[in-house]
Amino acid sequence: MSAALILDACLVLLVLAVAVWTIAARETFPAIAGFVSYGLLLAIVWVRLSSVDVALTEAAIGGGATGVLLLGAAARLTDRAGRRPAGIGLRIMAGALCLAITAALAFVILTLPDPAPTLAPQAVAGLPATGVGNPITAVLVAYRGIDTLLEKIVLLLAVIGVWCLTPDDSWGALPAPWGTARQDDAIVLLARLLAPVGVVVGVYIVWVGADDPGGAFQGGTILAAMWLLVMMAGLIAPLPATSRRLRRVLVAGPALFLAVAFAGFAMSGDFLSYPPAYAKWLIKLIEAALTLSIAAMVGVLVIGPAVRKR
Amino acid sequence: MGEFLTGSACFVLAMVALGLVRILRGPADADRIMAPQLLGTGGIAVLLLLAAATGAPAVVDVALSLALLAAFASVAFVLAKGSPAPGKADEP
Repeated sequence: MSAALILDACLVLLVLAVAVWTIAARETFPAIAGFVSYGLLLAIVWVRLSSVDVALTEAAIGGGATGVLLLGAAARLTDRAGRRPAGIGLRIMAGALCLAITAALAFVILTLPDPAPTLAPQAVAGLPATGVGNPITAVLVAYRGIDTLLEKIVLLLAVIGVWCLTPDDSWGALPAPWGTARQDDAIVLLARLLAPVGVVVGVYIVWVGADDPGGAFQGGTILAAMWLLVMMAGLIAPLPATSRRLRRVLVAGPALFLAVAFAGFAMSGDFLSYPPAYAKWLIKLIEAALTLSIAAMVGVLVIGPAVRKR
Repeated sequence: MGEFLTGSACFVLAMVALGLVRILRGPADADRIMAPQLLGTGGIAVLLLLAAATGAPAVVDVALSLALLAAFASVAFVLAKGSPAPGKADEP
Protein backbone atom coordinates (compact mmCIF):
# COMPACT_ATOMS: atom_id res chain seq x y z
CA MET A 1 0.00 0.00 0.00
CA SER A 2 1.50 3.33 -1.06
CA ALA A 3 1.84 6.38 1.16
CA ALA A 4 -0.50 8.39 -1.07
CA LEU A 5 -3.28 5.85 -0.57
CA ILE A 6 -2.85 5.93 3.24
CA LEU A 7 -2.88 9.76 3.14
CA ASP A 8 -6.11 9.80 1.15
CA ALA A 9 -7.73 7.27 3.49
CA CYS A 10 -6.71 9.35 6.56
CA LEU A 11 -8.04 12.50 4.90
CA VAL A 12 -11.40 10.91 4.07
CA LEU A 13 -11.80 9.57 7.62
CA LEU A 14 -10.86 12.94 9.13
CA VAL A 15 -13.26 14.91 6.88
CA LEU A 16 -16.10 12.48 7.64
CA ALA A 17 -15.37 12.62 11.38
CA VAL A 18 -15.33 16.44 11.44
CA ALA A 19 -18.54 16.55 9.35
CA VAL A 20 -20.36 14.17 11.72
CA TRP A 21 -19.05 16.09 14.74
CA THR A 22 -20.27 19.40 13.25
CA ILE A 23 -23.76 18.02 12.66
CA ALA A 24 -23.91 16.44 16.12
CA ALA A 25 -22.75 19.62 17.93
CA ARG A 26 -25.66 21.06 19.90
CA GLU A 27 -24.42 24.61 20.42
CA THR A 28 -24.00 27.11 17.58
CA PHE A 29 -20.43 28.16 18.36
CA PRO A 30 -18.82 24.68 18.39
CA ALA A 31 -20.76 23.82 15.22
CA ILE A 32 -19.29 26.88 13.46
CA ALA A 33 -15.77 26.01 14.70
CA GLY A 34 -16.29 22.49 13.30
CA PHE A 35 -17.63 23.82 10.00
CA VAL A 36 -14.66 26.17 9.46
CA SER A 37 -12.26 23.28 10.24
CA TYR A 38 -14.20 21.19 7.73
CA GLY A 39 -13.74 23.91 5.08
CA LEU A 40 -9.99 24.12 5.68
CA LEU A 41 -9.74 20.31 5.44
CA LEU A 42 -11.69 20.32 2.17
CA ALA A 43 -9.01 22.58 0.67
CA ILE A 44 -6.51 19.74 1.22
CA VAL A 45 -9.00 17.24 -0.28
CA TRP A 46 -9.29 19.36 -3.46
CA VAL A 47 -5.49 19.47 -3.73
CA ARG A 48 -5.45 15.64 -3.56
CA LEU A 49 -8.07 15.63 -6.36
CA SER A 50 -5.68 17.79 -8.45
CA SER A 51 -8.17 20.70 -8.46
CA VAL A 52 -5.87 23.41 -7.13
CA ASP A 53 -8.17 26.21 -8.38
CA VAL A 54 -11.06 24.77 -6.38
CA ALA A 55 -8.75 24.29 -3.38
CA LEU A 56 -7.90 28.00 -3.44
CA THR A 57 -11.58 28.93 -3.63
CA GLU A 58 -12.47 26.54 -0.81
CA ALA A 59 -9.69 27.92 1.41
CA ALA A 60 -10.83 31.49 0.74
CA ILE A 61 -14.59 30.93 1.06
CA GLY A 62 -14.70 28.02 3.54
CA GLY A 63 -11.90 29.26 5.76
CA GLY A 64 -12.43 33.01 5.52
CA ALA A 65 -15.82 34.34 4.53
CA THR A 66 -18.17 31.57 5.70
CA GLY A 67 -16.88 31.55 9.28
CA VAL A 68 -17.47 35.28 9.80
CA LEU A 69 -20.81 35.07 8.01
CA LEU A 70 -22.03 32.24 10.26
CA LEU A 71 -20.73 33.93 13.43
CA GLY A 72 -22.63 37.10 12.45
CA ALA A 73 -25.76 35.05 11.76
CA ALA A 74 -25.43 33.29 15.13
CA ALA A 75 -25.10 36.65 16.93
CA ARG A 76 -28.21 37.97 15.17
CA LEU A 77 -30.14 34.76 15.94
CA THR A 78 -29.59 34.98 19.69
CA ASP A 79 -30.50 38.65 19.52
CA ARG A 80 -33.96 38.00 18.15
CA ALA A 81 -36.70 35.50 19.02
CA GLY A 82 -35.71 32.53 21.18
CA ARG A 83 -34.84 29.36 19.34
CA ARG A 84 -36.89 26.22 19.72
CA PRO A 85 -35.16 22.88 19.11
CA ALA A 86 -36.46 21.19 15.97
CA GLY A 87 -39.08 18.49 16.53
CA ILE A 88 -38.34 14.83 15.87
CA GLY A 89 -40.45 14.86 12.69
CA LEU A 90 -38.50 17.76 11.18
CA ARG A 91 -35.21 16.08 12.05
CA ILE A 92 -36.24 12.82 10.38
CA MET A 93 -37.37 14.79 7.30
CA ALA A 94 -34.05 16.71 7.12
CA GLY A 95 -32.09 13.48 7.56
CA ALA A 96 -34.12 11.72 4.85
CA LEU A 97 -33.62 14.65 2.45
CA CYS A 98 -29.84 14.67 3.03
CA LEU A 99 -29.73 10.89 2.57
CA ALA A 100 -31.69 11.13 -0.69
CA ILE A 101 -29.33 13.82 -2.06
CA THR A 102 -26.26 11.79 -1.02
CA ALA A 103 -27.71 8.64 -2.62
CA ALA A 104 -28.51 10.50 -5.85
CA LEU A 105 -25.00 12.00 -6.03
CA ALA A 106 -23.39 8.62 -5.26
CA PHE A 107 -25.54 6.98 -7.96
CA VAL A 108 -24.51 9.57 -10.57
CA ILE A 109 -20.80 9.27 -9.72
CA LEU A 110 -20.85 5.46 -9.69
CA THR A 111 -22.72 5.17 -13.01
CA LEU A 112 -20.44 7.60 -14.89
CA PRO A 113 -19.10 5.94 -18.06
CA ASP A 114 -15.39 5.15 -18.03
CA PRO A 115 -13.65 7.36 -19.19
CA ALA A 116 -16.00 10.10 -17.99
CA PRO A 117 -17.19 12.53 -20.69
CA THR A 118 -14.93 15.60 -20.69
CA LEU A 119 -14.37 18.81 -22.62
CA ALA A 120 -10.89 19.25 -21.13
CA PRO A 121 -8.97 18.45 -24.40
CA GLN A 122 -11.02 21.06 -26.31
CA ALA A 123 -10.49 23.61 -23.50
CA VAL A 124 -6.72 23.10 -23.67
CA ALA A 125 -6.72 23.09 -27.50
CA GLY A 126 -8.34 26.55 -27.59
CA LEU A 127 -5.86 28.12 -25.14
CA PRO A 128 -3.51 29.74 -27.72
CA ALA A 129 -6.40 31.85 -29.07
CA THR A 130 -7.06 33.35 -25.61
CA GLY A 131 -3.42 34.00 -24.70
CA VAL A 132 -3.87 32.71 -21.12
CA GLY A 133 -2.22 29.53 -19.86
CA ASN A 134 -4.72 28.42 -17.21
CA PRO A 135 -7.60 26.53 -18.88
CA ILE A 136 -9.92 27.35 -15.96
CA THR A 137 -9.43 31.10 -16.42
CA ALA A 138 -10.02 30.60 -20.16
CA VAL A 139 -13.30 28.78 -19.44
CA LEU A 140 -14.42 31.40 -16.90
CA VAL A 141 -13.62 34.59 -18.80
CA ALA A 142 -13.43 33.50 -22.45
CA TYR A 143 -15.37 30.34 -23.42
CA ARG A 144 -18.14 30.73 -20.87
CA GLY A 145 -17.74 34.46 -20.26
CA ILE A 146 -21.51 34.96 -20.33
CA ASP A 147 -21.93 32.67 -17.27
CA THR A 148 -19.31 34.60 -15.31
CA LEU A 149 -20.85 37.93 -16.33
CA LEU A 150 -24.31 36.85 -15.20
CA GLU A 151 -22.86 35.34 -11.99
CA LYS A 152 -21.36 38.71 -11.05
CA ILE A 153 -24.70 40.41 -11.70
CA VAL A 154 -26.36 37.82 -9.44
CA LEU A 155 -23.83 38.77 -6.74
CA LEU A 156 -24.85 42.42 -7.19
CA LEU A 157 -28.50 41.39 -6.79
CA ALA A 158 -27.52 39.55 -3.59
CA VAL A 159 -25.92 42.75 -2.26
CA ILE A 160 -29.13 44.67 -3.04
CA GLY A 161 -31.12 41.90 -1.34
CA VAL A 162 -29.03 42.20 1.84
CA TRP A 163 -29.37 45.99 1.83
CA CYS A 164 -33.16 45.59 1.46
CA LEU A 165 -33.19 43.93 4.90
CA THR A 166 -32.11 47.21 6.53
CA PRO A 167 -34.88 48.65 8.72
CA ASP A 168 -36.16 52.04 7.45
CA ASP A 169 -34.83 54.08 10.37
CA SER A 170 -31.26 52.77 10.13
CA TRP A 171 -30.79 53.24 6.36
CA GLY A 172 -27.35 54.76 5.88
CA ALA A 173 -26.24 53.82 9.39
CA LEU A 174 -23.02 51.88 9.96
CA PRO A 175 -23.56 48.14 10.20
CA ALA A 176 -22.99 47.38 13.90
CA PRO A 177 -21.00 45.74 15.52
CA TRP A 178 -18.38 46.62 12.94
CA GLY A 179 -16.04 49.53 13.29
CA THR A 180 -16.08 49.88 17.06
CA ALA A 181 -12.56 50.68 18.19
CA ARG A 182 -10.93 47.75 19.97
CA GLN A 183 -8.68 47.96 22.93
CA ASP A 184 -7.17 44.51 22.31
CA ASP A 185 -3.68 45.44 21.16
CA ALA A 186 -3.00 41.94 19.82
CA ILE A 187 -5.78 42.11 17.24
CA VAL A 188 -4.83 45.66 16.17
CA LEU A 189 -1.20 44.56 15.77
CA LEU A 190 -2.24 41.46 13.79
CA ALA A 191 -4.44 43.57 11.50
CA ARG A 192 -1.59 46.02 10.89
CA LEU A 193 0.88 43.21 10.10
CA LEU A 194 -1.32 40.69 8.31
CA ALA A 195 -3.49 42.96 6.14
CA PRO A 196 -0.66 44.40 3.95
CA VAL A 197 0.77 40.90 3.44
CA GLY A 198 -2.72 39.59 2.65
CA VAL A 199 -3.36 42.31 0.07
CA VAL A 200 -0.12 41.40 -1.72
CA VAL A 201 -1.06 37.70 -1.64
CA GLY A 202 -4.57 38.47 -2.95
CA VAL A 203 -3.24 40.51 -5.88
CA TYR A 204 -0.63 37.81 -6.55
CA ILE A 205 -3.31 35.08 -6.69
CA VAL A 206 -5.25 37.12 -9.27
CA TRP A 207 -2.10 37.81 -11.30
CA VAL A 208 -0.89 34.18 -11.50
CA GLY A 209 -4.48 33.17 -12.38
CA ALA A 210 -3.64 33.82 -16.06
CA ASP A 211 -1.22 30.91 -16.26
CA ASP A 212 -1.48 28.96 -12.99
CA PRO A 213 -4.25 28.15 -10.52
CA GLY A 214 -5.74 31.35 -9.11
CA GLY A 215 -8.07 34.05 -10.36
CA ALA A 216 -10.35 36.97 -9.61
CA PHE A 217 -12.72 35.14 -7.26
CA GLN A 218 -10.03 33.59 -5.06
CA GLY A 219 -7.95 36.77 -4.95
CA GLY A 220 -11.02 38.95 -4.42
CA THR A 221 -12.16 36.86 -1.46
CA ILE A 222 -8.71 37.12 0.15
CA LEU A 223 -8.83 40.91 -0.31
CA ALA A 224 -12.32 40.93 1.23
CA ALA A 225 -11.02 38.96 4.23
CA MET A 226 -8.26 41.52 4.75
CA TRP A 227 -10.77 44.39 4.49
CA LEU A 228 -12.94 42.64 7.11
CA LEU A 229 -9.90 42.05 9.33
CA VAL A 230 -9.00 45.75 9.37
CA MET A 231 -12.63 46.62 10.15
CA MET A 232 -12.83 43.99 12.90
CA ALA A 233 -9.76 45.52 14.51
CA GLY A 234 -11.56 48.88 14.45
CA LEU A 235 -8.85 50.54 12.35
CA ILE A 236 -11.34 51.70 9.71
CA ALA A 237 -15.11 52.10 9.80
CA PRO A 238 -17.31 50.06 7.43
CA LEU A 239 -18.84 51.95 4.51
CA PRO A 240 -22.61 52.49 4.78
CA ALA A 241 -24.93 51.34 1.98
CA THR A 242 -25.40 54.98 0.92
CA SER A 243 -21.68 55.44 0.18
CA ARG A 244 -21.20 56.46 -3.49
CA ARG A 245 -17.58 55.28 -3.39
CA LEU A 246 -18.61 51.78 -2.29
CA ARG A 247 -21.32 51.59 -4.94
CA ARG A 248 -18.88 52.63 -7.69
CA VAL A 249 -16.46 49.84 -6.68
CA LEU A 250 -19.33 47.31 -6.52
CA VAL A 251 -20.46 48.15 -10.05
CA ALA A 252 -17.00 48.71 -11.63
CA GLY A 253 -16.23 45.04 -12.43
CA PRO A 254 -19.57 43.99 -13.96
CA ALA A 255 -19.80 47.35 -15.81
CA LEU A 256 -16.35 46.96 -17.38
CA PHE A 257 -17.11 43.33 -18.26
CA LEU A 258 -20.36 44.44 -19.94
CA ALA A 259 -18.58 47.28 -21.79
CA VAL A 260 -15.92 44.89 -23.15
CA ALA A 261 -18.69 42.42 -24.08
CA PHE A 262 -20.51 45.07 -26.16
CA ALA A 263 -17.23 46.36 -27.60
CA GLY A 264 -16.88 42.82 -28.98
CA PHE A 265 -19.46 43.76 -31.66
CA ALA A 266 -17.14 46.50 -32.96
CA MET A 267 -13.82 44.69 -32.44
CA SER A 268 -14.55 41.18 -33.69
CA GLY A 269 -18.17 41.12 -34.68
CA ASP A 270 -19.85 39.36 -31.75
CA PHE A 271 -20.99 39.84 -28.16
CA LEU A 272 -18.23 38.90 -25.67
CA SER A 273 -15.66 37.98 -28.33
CA TYR A 274 -12.14 39.23 -27.82
CA PRO A 275 -9.83 40.06 -30.74
CA PRO A 276 -7.03 37.44 -30.44
CA ALA A 277 -4.29 40.08 -30.49
CA TYR A 278 -5.56 41.74 -27.27
CA ALA A 279 -7.38 38.75 -25.72
CA LYS A 280 -4.96 38.25 -22.83
CA TRP A 281 -4.85 41.95 -21.92
CA LEU A 282 -8.62 42.28 -22.05
CA ILE A 283 -9.01 39.16 -19.87
CA LYS A 284 -6.53 40.50 -17.30
CA LEU A 285 -8.24 43.92 -17.34
CA ILE A 286 -11.65 42.32 -16.71
CA GLU A 287 -10.17 40.11 -13.97
CA ALA A 288 -8.55 43.12 -12.26
CA ALA A 289 -11.81 45.11 -12.21
CA LEU A 290 -13.80 42.04 -11.14
CA THR A 291 -11.37 41.42 -8.26
CA LEU A 292 -12.11 44.81 -6.72
CA SER A 293 -15.86 44.37 -7.17
CA ILE A 294 -15.82 40.81 -5.78
CA ALA A 295 -13.81 41.97 -2.75
CA ALA A 296 -16.39 44.71 -2.11
CA MET A 297 -19.34 42.35 -2.70
CA VAL A 298 -18.06 39.60 -0.40
CA GLY A 299 -17.21 42.22 2.25
CA VAL A 300 -20.66 43.84 2.09
CA LEU A 301 -22.42 40.45 2.12
CA VAL A 302 -20.48 39.29 5.18
CA ILE A 303 -21.01 42.55 7.11
CA GLY A 304 -24.75 42.34 6.47
CA PRO A 305 -27.38 45.06 6.78
CA ALA A 306 -27.26 47.86 9.35
CA VAL A 307 -29.09 46.86 12.51
CA ARG A 308 -31.90 48.84 14.14
CA LYS A 309 -30.74 51.34 16.72
CA ARG A 310 -32.42 50.88 20.06
CA MET B 1 11.87 10.76 -2.02
CA GLY B 2 8.29 11.49 -3.08
CA GLU B 3 7.09 8.46 -1.13
CA PHE B 4 8.93 9.66 1.99
CA LEU B 5 7.46 13.18 1.73
CA THR B 6 3.94 11.83 1.23
CA GLY B 7 4.47 9.55 4.22
CA SER B 8 5.56 12.56 6.29
CA ALA B 9 2.43 14.46 5.16
CA CYS B 10 0.40 11.46 6.29
CA PHE B 11 2.10 11.50 9.71
CA VAL B 12 1.48 15.25 10.16
CA LEU B 13 -2.17 14.76 9.18
CA ALA B 14 -2.56 11.95 11.72
CA MET B 15 -1.11 14.19 14.44
CA VAL B 16 -3.46 17.03 13.43
CA ALA B 17 -6.36 14.58 13.65
CA LEU B 18 -5.34 13.58 17.19
CA GLY B 19 -5.06 17.25 18.18
CA LEU B 20 -8.40 18.02 16.61
CA VAL B 21 -10.12 15.33 18.70
CA ARG B 22 -8.83 16.94 21.88
CA ILE B 23 -9.59 20.52 20.78
CA LEU B 24 -13.11 19.99 19.46
CA ARG B 25 -14.12 18.13 22.63
CA GLY B 26 -13.67 21.39 24.47
CA PRO B 27 -14.85 21.82 27.19
CA ALA B 28 -14.77 25.62 26.69
CA ASP B 29 -15.39 27.47 23.42
CA ALA B 30 -11.94 29.03 23.84
CA ASP B 31 -10.47 25.55 23.27
CA ARG B 32 -12.47 25.14 20.08
CA ILE B 33 -11.18 28.45 18.69
CA MET B 34 -7.83 26.65 18.42
CA ALA B 35 -9.24 24.28 15.76
CA PRO B 36 -8.78 26.62 12.76
CA GLN B 37 -5.35 27.57 14.16
CA LEU B 38 -4.31 23.91 14.36
CA LEU B 39 -5.65 23.19 10.87
CA GLY B 40 -3.88 26.30 9.63
CA THR B 41 -0.42 25.23 10.79
CA GLY B 42 -0.99 21.49 10.22
CA GLY B 43 -2.65 22.07 6.85
CA ILE B 44 0.23 24.26 5.67
CA ALA B 45 2.71 21.52 6.62
CA VAL B 46 0.68 18.85 4.78
CA LEU B 47 0.27 21.04 1.68
CA LEU B 48 3.94 22.07 1.52
CA LEU B 49 5.02 18.42 1.83
CA LEU B 50 2.56 17.44 -0.89
CA ALA B 51 3.76 20.28 -3.13
CA ALA B 52 7.33 18.99 -2.82
CA ALA B 53 6.26 15.35 -3.20
CA THR B 54 4.19 15.84 -6.35
CA GLY B 55 6.22 18.71 -7.83
CA ALA B 56 3.19 21.01 -8.07
CA PRO B 57 4.35 24.54 -7.14
CA ALA B 58 0.77 25.91 -7.31
CA VAL B 59 -0.05 23.95 -4.15
CA VAL B 60 2.30 26.31 -2.28
CA ASP B 61 -0.17 29.11 -3.12
CA VAL B 62 -2.95 27.13 -1.44
CA ALA B 63 -0.74 26.81 1.66
CA LEU B 64 -0.18 30.58 1.53
CA SER B 65 -3.93 31.32 1.42
CA LEU B 66 -4.56 28.81 4.18
CA ALA B 67 -1.97 30.58 6.37
CA LEU B 68 -3.71 33.93 5.86
CA LEU B 69 -7.27 32.75 6.25
CA ALA B 70 -6.74 30.45 9.24
CA ALA B 71 -5.34 33.46 11.13
CA PHE B 72 -8.29 35.55 9.92
CA ALA B 73 -10.80 32.89 11.06
CA SER B 74 -9.17 32.77 14.51
CA VAL B 75 -9.55 36.55 14.88
CA ALA B 76 -13.22 36.29 13.91
CA PHE B 77 -13.81 33.57 16.53
CA VAL B 78 -11.97 35.47 19.25
CA LEU B 79 -13.98 38.64 18.56
CA ALA B 80 -17.25 36.70 18.49
CA LYS B 81 -16.46 35.29 21.94
CA GLY B 82 -14.83 38.40 23.39
CA SER B 83 -16.70 41.10 25.28
CA PRO B 84 -18.74 42.89 24.17
CA ALA B 85 -20.05 40.13 21.91
CA PRO B 86 -20.80 41.26 18.34
CA GLY B 87 -24.49 41.86 17.80
CA LYS B 88 -24.99 42.62 21.47
CA ALA B 89 -22.83 45.72 21.55
CA ASP B 90 -25.84 47.88 20.73
CA GLU B 91 -28.22 46.44 23.28
CA PRO B 92 -29.35 48.74 26.05
